[in-house]
Amino acid sequence: MTTTKAPSAALTWLVVGSRYMPVYIALVLLVIVAAIWAPAALGSVPLRAIAPYGAVLAITALGQVLVIMTGGIDLSVPGTMSLAAVIMIGIGAGSDENIGMAIAVALVAAAVVGLLNGILIGGLKLNALIVTLAVGLIVIGVVNRYGRTFPVQNPVPEGWSDWVATRILGVSAVFWVGLGLTIVVSVVLRYTAVGRRFQVVGANPVASGVVGVRVTLNQILVYVVAAVLYAIAGLALAGLIRRPGVYVGSEYLLAPIAAVVIGGASLTGGLASPFSTFAAAFFLTGLNQLMLTIGLPTSLQFVVFGLVIIGGMLVSGDRIIRGVEQVLRERKRPDGSQTQTAPGSG
Amino acid sequence: MQRIMKIAAIVAVLALVAAACGGDDGDEPTPTGTTDGGALPATGTTGSLSEFGESTDADQALVDKALGPVTPSDEASWNIILASIARATQDLDQATIDKAMECFNSQECDTGTGGEIVMGYADGGGDTVNVWRAVSHMEAILQALTYDEIGAIVSTEANFGGPTFDPTIAENDIRFLINRGVDFIVGYPDIGVGLKEEVLEAEAAGIPYIPFSAGYVGLPGTEGALTPGEDYLTVVGEDLCELGESFAGILNTGVGAGEVAILGGTPNNALSLGWQQCAIPALAGGVELVNPPPNENTTTGDTFWSDGAIPGVFQALLTTNPDIKGYAYEYSDGMNTGLKEYEGLGIPVENLTLALRTDEQTLFCDWVERAEPTYNIFYSAGGNFQSRVGVTAAMMNIAGAPIPAEIVVPHVMRQVTAADCNPNRVNPYVSGTSLVPDSVLSLMFAS
Repeated sequence: MTTTKAPSAALTWLVVGSRYMPVYIALVLLVIVAAIWAPAALGSVPLRAIAPYGAVLAITALGQVLVIMTGGIDLSVPGTMSLAAVIMIGIGAGSDENIGMAIAVALVAAAVVGLLNGILIGGLKLNALIVTLAVGLIVIGVVNRYGRTFPVQNPVPEGWSDWVATRILGVSAVFWVGLGLTIVVSVVLRYTAVGRRFQVVGANPVASGVVGVRVTLNQILVYVVAAVLYAIAGLALAGLIRRPGVYVGSEYLLAPIAAVVIGGASLTGGLASPFSTFAAAFFLTGLNQLMLTIGLPTSLQFVVFGLVIIGGMLVSGDRIIRGVEQVLRERKRPDGSQTQTAPGSG
Repeated sequence: MQRIMKIAAIVAVLALVAAACGGDDGDEPTPTGTTDGGALPATGTTGSLSEFGESTDADQALVDKALGPVTPSDEASWNIILASIARATQDLDQATIDKAMECFNSQECDTGTGGEIVMGYADGGGDTVNVWRAVSHMEAILQALTYDEIGAIVSTEANFGGPTFDPTIAENDIRFLINRGVDFIVGYPDIGVGLKEEVLEAEAAGIPYIPFSAGYVGLPGTEGALTPGEDYLTVVGEDLCELGESFAGILNTGVGAGEVAILGGTPNNALSLGWQQCAIPALAGGVELVNPPPNENTTTGDTFWSDGAIPGVFQALLTTNPDIKGYAYEYSDGMNTGLKEYEGLGIPVENLTLALRTDEQTLFCDWVERAEPTYNIFYSAGGNFQSRVGVTAAMMNIAGAPIPAEIVVPHVMRQVTAADCNPNRVNPYVSGTSLVPDSVLSLMFAS
C-alpha cells in the first residue's frame, strides 16, 4: 500500500532554495578565478570601486525580475534609464536647488512609461517583448530630442554627483540604496498581502483570476514599479558618470535579464528571489571587471558574457527543480513503495 | 623698326598677363620648426588651386590655431589643407550663423544659394554623443556654406551610444544618403571596415566618400580594408604611424622607466589601431606596457570614447597596476573622466605623463588646478577642422582637381601650459584647435 507523507520543511527549503544556488556557486567560482588570475581585483579598494556600478545593475535587475515573475519581459530599460539621466541634466540645470524637482519629474516620467507598457501588455494583452522594445525606442527618440535642448556633455548638478559619490561605512551610497530596495522588495513579496497576491499572479494568472485576484491590475502595475526602479538606477548612474550622454542606458538592455536568469528566476514567470538577483548583478559586474583586469580583448568579453548567460539558462532554476523532482520521485522506501512529494515550485 | 616695336609690345603685354595670372605654381610653404616653436609655415598663394576655385592664402593665425607649429606635409595635402583653412572665416554675418544653426539642428537644410550640389555628412556617433562630434559636424556645415554650389546639406548620425551600438544604423545612414542623391559624403566610419559595402555602393553610384580624422574604412593592410584613392576618394588625417611614434617618444622621455598604458576607442577602429601599431614597438626598453594587445591587428584599451565605458577601463587597469606612470590616448576629455577613478581608488595623480591627441580643455584646466609638478600633459590637435578639409577635397574633386589618396595632416606634440586653460571659453569641452567661431559655439552650447 502506498502512503504519502507531507514533505519536511527542510526538504521544501532544499527544493525551493536549490533553484537559487547556482548564482552563489558562480560567485564563489568567480572569486576563485580572480584569486588565481587577478588577486589584486579582490582587494577592498577595487571592490568598493565597482560596488556602485553593481548596485545600478542590481536595481535595474530588480525591476526586471518583478516583470519576469509575471511572465513578461521589459526591453525599455535603456530608454527609461536614459530618460531619467537627461531629466536630471535638463531640469537640474546645474543647480543643486533643482535636484529634488529633477528626481520627482524623472520618477513620474518613468512611471508614465511603465504605465504605457502595462496598459498595452496587461490591459490589451499585447506581446511584452515587442511592446517594450517599441516603447523603449519611442522613449529613446524622446530622450534624443530632449537632449538637444541643452549642450551635450552638460553635467548633472554637483550636489547630486557628490551625494552619489558619498560613502557610508566605506561603501558607495548607491550600494546601500540598491541593498535597501532589494530588502524592501523581498519583504513586500514575502510578508505582505500585496506581495503574495503578486506572486500568485505570476505563478498562475488563470487560477489567480478565479480566486478573485485582480490579475490585470497587477500586470499593469508591475511595469510601473519596474520603470520607477529603472529611473532610480538611471539617476544613480548619471550621478556616477557626472556627464551622462543621452544613451547612458544603452548597456542595460540585456544585462538585467542576464542577472535575473542567473539569479534563478524562470523566464516563464513564477517564483524569484530578489536577493539572488542582487547577487547575480554583482556577479556580472565582477565578471566584467575581471575580464577587463586580465586584459581580455573586447571581442572575447562579449563571447564570455554570452556564454555566461547561456550557462545561466542551462543551470536555471527550472532545470534544477525538475532535476530535484526527478531524483525525489525515483527515491524508494525500503519496502519498495515510492514517496510522493509536493512539487518543488511554489 | 616698327616690327621690333610690335614684338616688344607683344612681349610686354604677355609679361603683364603673366603677372596678373598670379605667382609661381611651384611655390611651396617654408618648412617650419618643431615642438620648440620654430619658424611657422608661410601660406601658399592663390595660383596653384585657383583653377579649381580655391585659394591657399589661409590666415596664418588660423593655421597655427588648428595645427600648431607643424612642418607641412606633402605639397598636395598641404595645399588642400590651406585651401580649407582659407575658407574658415571667423567673422561670420548673422545670416550665415543662423543658417549654420538651422543646418546643425536639421537632418536636411537648404543653404539658400540655389546650388545644385548636395553634401552628405555621416557621423558614426552624433551630435549628442560628445562635443567633438558636434563640433566636427558644425565645421563641415560652415565649410559647406562657403560654397555657393552646395544647395543642400543632409546629415545623419548613427547614435553611437557605447558598447552596444548598432552598426546597421551606420550602414543604413550611408544607404539613406545614397538614396537621397547626395553628391559626396564626408564622415567618420566608427565601424571601420564594417562600412565597406556601403562605401563601395556609394562610390559605384558616383558619390565620393571622404572620411576624416584618419577614419580609414579598415586600416590598410588589415583584412577586408578598402584602399583610399582606389576604393574611395581619399582619407583626411594624420600619419598614424608618425602619431604613434610621437606618443611613444613622449612616454619614453616623460616616463623613462616604468609602467604605461595605451588606450583607444571602439574595438579595432582604424585611428586607434593605426597609431597603436607603431607606438607599441617604439616604446623604450625601460617602459613596460601593462595592457598589450593580443596581436598586432587588435587594439588595446578600448574605451569606445564613451564616458559610460571609460571608468571601467581605468578601474581595471589601476586595480592591478596602481603605479602606471604614463598613458597614450586620443581623447583628452576621456582621460579627464578616467582620472576621476584615481580618486575613487585612492591613488594620487602624480608622476604621470600623458600623450594625447585632442585638446579639450576640461583636462587642461584640471591639470592647472592640480598644480602637480610631476604630472605633465602633451597633446597634438583635436582635428575637428579636418571635416572642413573633407568638404574642400570633395568640392575640388568635383571641380576636376587631382586629390591624393591620403590628405596627410601634419601634427606636432605640444606641452600643456596654464594658457591652455581659458576660463572664458564658451564650452570647456570644445577643443582649442577648433575653427568654429565663438559666435557659433555660443549658440551650439548655450545653457
